[in-house]
Amino acid sequence: MYAFEYLRAGSLAEAGDLLSKNPEAKILAGGQTFIPTLKARLAQPTHVVDVARIKDLAGITVTADAVTIGAMTRHVEVGNSAEVRKAIPALAALALEIGDQQVRNRGTLGGSVANNDPAADYPSAVLALGATIITTSREIAADDFFQGMFATALAEGEIIKAIRFPIPKRAAYSKFHHPASGYAMAGAFVADTAKGVRVAITGAGASGVFRWSDAEAALAKSFAAAALAGLKVDDSNCIADLHAGSDYRAHLAAVMTKRAVQKITG
Amino acid sequence: MRLIQGHGRYASDWNMAGQLFAAVLRSPHAAARIVRIDTAAALNAPGVRAVLTHADAEQAGFKSIVGGVALKDRNGQPMKKPHYPVLAKDQVAYVGQAVAFVVAESATAAQDATELIEVEYEEQPAVVEFADAVAPGAPRVHQDIEGNVAYVHEHGDAAAVEAAFARAHRTTRLKVDSQRLVCNPMEPRACLAAFDAATGRYTLHAPSQGLIGARTHIEQITGLPAKDVDLIVEDVGGSFGIRGTPYPEYFMAMLAARTLGKPVKWVGSRSDTFLSDYHGRALALCGEVALDETGRFLAFRWTDEINLGAYAGPFGAFIGTQNVSITSHGVYAVPAVYVRSTLAYTNTTPISAYRGAGRPDIAYAIERLVDQAAFEHGFDPLELRRRNFITPAQMPFKTATGPTYDSGDFPAVMEHALKASDWAGFPARRKESEARGRLRGIGLASYLEAAGAGTFNKDQTAARVGDDGRITIFCMAGGSGQGHETTFVGVFADELGVEQGVIEYRASDLAAADLIGNGTGGSRTAAGQGSAFKALARALIEKARPLASALLGGEADYADGRFSAGGKSVGLIDLARKMARGADGRHPLDCEAEASSPATFPNGCHVAEVEIDPDTGVTDIIRYTSIDDLGNVLQPMLVEGQVHGGVAQGWGQVFGEHAVYDRESGQFLTASFMDYAMPRADWLKGTFTRESHPVPTATNLMGAKGVGESGCSGSLPALMNALMSAVRPLGVKDLQMPVTPVVMWRTLNQTARKAA
Repeated sequence: MYAFEYLRAGSLAEAGDLLSKNPEAKILAGGQTFIPTLKARLAQPTHVVDVARIKDLAGITVTADAVTIGAMTRHVEVGNSAEVRKAIPALAALALEIGDQQVRNRGTLGGSVANNDPAADYPSAVLALGATIITTSREIAADDFFQGMFATALAEGEIIKAIRFPIPKRAAYSKFHHPASGYAMAGAFVADTAKGVRVAITGAGASGVFRWSDAEAALAKSFAAAALAGLKVDDSNCIADLHAGSDYRAHLAAVMTKRAVQKITG
Repeated sequence: MRLIQGHGRYASDWNMAGQLFAAVLRSPHAAARIVRIDTAAALNAPGVRAVLTHADAEQAGFKSIVGGVALKDRNGQPMKKPHYPVLAKDQVAYVGQAVAFVVAESATAAQDATELIEVEYEEQPAVVEFADAVAPGAPRVHQDIEGNVAYVHEHGDAAAVEAAFARAHRTTRLKVDSQRLVCNPMEPRACLAAFDAATGRYTLHAPSQGLIGARTHIEQITGLPAKDVDLIVEDVGGSFGIRGTPYPEYFMAMLAARTLGKPVKWVGSRSDTFLSDYHGRALALCGEVALDETGRFLAFRWTDEINLGAYAGPFGAFIGTQNVSITSHGVYAVPAVYVRSTLAYTNTTPISAYRGAGRPDIAYAIERLVDQAAFEHGFDPLELRRRNFITPAQMPFKTATGPTYDSGDFPAVMEHALKASDWAGFPARRKESEARGRLRGIGLASYLEAAGAGTFNKDQTAARVGDDGRITIFCMAGGSGQGHETTFVGVFADELGVEQGVIEYRASDLAAADLIGNGTGGSRTAAGQGSAFKALARALIEKARPLASALLGGEADYADGRFSAGGKSVGLIDLARKMARGADGRHPLDCEAEASSPATFPNGCHVAEVEIDPDTGVTDIIRYTSIDDLGNVLQPMLVEGQVHGGVAQGWGQVFGEHAVYDRESGQFLTASFMDYAMPRADWLKGTFTRESHPVPTATNLMGAKGVGESGCSGSLPALMNALMSAVRPLGVKDLQMPVTPVVMWRTLNQTARKAA
């Protein structure tokens, strides 16, 4: 990695101050994507502002209708939280399927969502559950937040404070692991929510996470795997690379959706 | 225990006062002419002490990196070996080739400075695949090697094979790929070099499989006498064949240490491992078998394509010639065999030995060919094998390819495996899988390999006795995870009949014991060094016997660690404590021994049972059974670990691992763990049964046969035959490694479309 200055922010105000003073600074959360990027010399920030220990960004709060998780909550904490497991078991299960034990011990919800890797797991949960991203300056609906591969609605210097997940009636996540990286080659988060059935697909889309509206409509009529028979994900906007063509990823997305529904219906 | 408690000492764990740090600039191109290298900016960067290029290596007298054995074809033509400079001279021939070596006061400063070196490249067209390299009009990897063919190897009797095919009742032909792999030891390469101007001696810490071979290479390449280099190797984090010889960074670190008068340390990254460790496999084997009407094999014919990479690596040429030839009829009595291998250069990382070095590849090709012949001609695959096995009554068996198999009971080993795997119960299990919408397959492989030939015809050992009676034993084979300490101490202590706690093993300590012997490789240390340690124990007893007799006042007998005579006795260790050192400092019981242990023929039968999810193409290994004749087993737990590891590396090659290069640009596309799939423990969903079926060999003192590479030789064919068994009923004609989920899914879809 290139040399940089490491700064640890004790509060959100301090983080904001450090970021505005250093226009070439980058935010460090859990570092599970950012540190490998630095090590590969693919980024050259002048400063790195570590926000992982800011108290305002930690913690899990559960109310009658929502689970709110601080941005710097580690995957392992979400996965092992008795409250999350009770309120939205699919979200806890997803967290425990991210990366490996070492990644889960360090990686954070906010870091993952802000990075919006097209093969990351959390974006599918955020989108399918219709979550709200709470930032230092506003609240953003999930449907407006994800704006393509590695792109989000976050403005320069805007930091995610927490994410509020409405508690669904029922939900499940099904993931196909990339044979090399372990990332989602296709992952489907299916949620039966107060606002209807929502299906979000990660890993497959060339523009990142997306909702599969045909499946949502079919499941709204009949919440059963059989309702998905014959439905296909449009592969024209799916990722094609060395590892798999867009047709395989589109196919996997449909299979994972079916399996997520089966997890719910048994 | 020492290693899992974190007390290992690997190359990068060594440090010296005042050391400098190095970084390597590597070629970003697969093929390019180097027009100009300008190091001025890098030299002026903060903390930079030296920027070394080919000019420095040449000035130091460095020669070509050694390209293995001297081969001559049947027409007397030698193998064409291009000069392989330590640092690239006027061309680069693969992505990752070392171009410059920067030494600075910190590792970061050295790395930063590599980016300031200006190299003007003139890009050339690249070839990365064998077929492209040997095609008419292909770009030349080296200007003076037209057609890119390094060597054509022939082995066996072409005319006899021709005649057998002419009279054959049936024939079968099958070409299989053994795709290019990155060997990926857990420990990336690293070195620390120092020069003592007063004595003119170098100290080098670097991972190595064998001290003698490594020092010989250093001498051949740098011109420094081997005796002037103290190569110190304690622990090595995996070797697999590619740690057998030294790499360019080690020579450059030595040169820089001498020039700058400071120790120089280089620690490679995982990227360095992917790009610049020698690669493995990268060959295709096309087999043909001629059968008579009863299914007896009349002849095998092999036409092989060997991708050497850009240069002749240390063992590169050995793999596609000697190693794929000598056991190219496996466990079968085949009267005539002919092998023809074409070795070609491509713009890829050079290949070298990797866990079996051609032996798993040929075992894989044979066992797929036998299954294919059974399928094509309506034989039961087990029955076809039974008809052709070399039987115990035929041992020792002189093969058509040269070696004489001394021992083995191939029919019994297969029957053992059939029973252990409940082969007979498979149809019912398949029905049960089908009811769940899964495809189930079972596959078997009766493999054999030639292990442990070694470079030296003997292995020497030494014992040095301390004043406290403790005995330290030495040989030249260092471990890289095999558990030499456990095995050799066990052999030596058991033969002496003393407790293991009084024995300590040290590898590769030339200062304490100037020995020769083979390094760790080719699955040979249990037979080779094991025998030499057994001989050492016997030598020690005989050396002690007259001393004991004198002490006890009569001709002493030895048993269970004690000498006894006339009702009196003394323990060996007590006796050692009583003895005073001689004037030369040697203890009277210090001794040396040696043993000559020729190649052994480990063999076995592996059975794999798999289940495929047709919706995703994912294969689960449901049952795995390995029954191996490894001769006498010295340490059952270590042998079990070796088999597990070898089998798992086979799984990696079958289901995921693949070094993929872009066919046009020659860029290396799977050069990180993000894109290169390693085997994972959770691929095994069911049981792994491993049992020994020893048929001890009489060719070494231990009765042991090699184990290190056998797992790969068994698992590649067993698994691929299982996959074929699962999909053949659907009309699938062929599968090639790696069978990733997408490959399986696509194969099933295409077959279904054709059938529709």
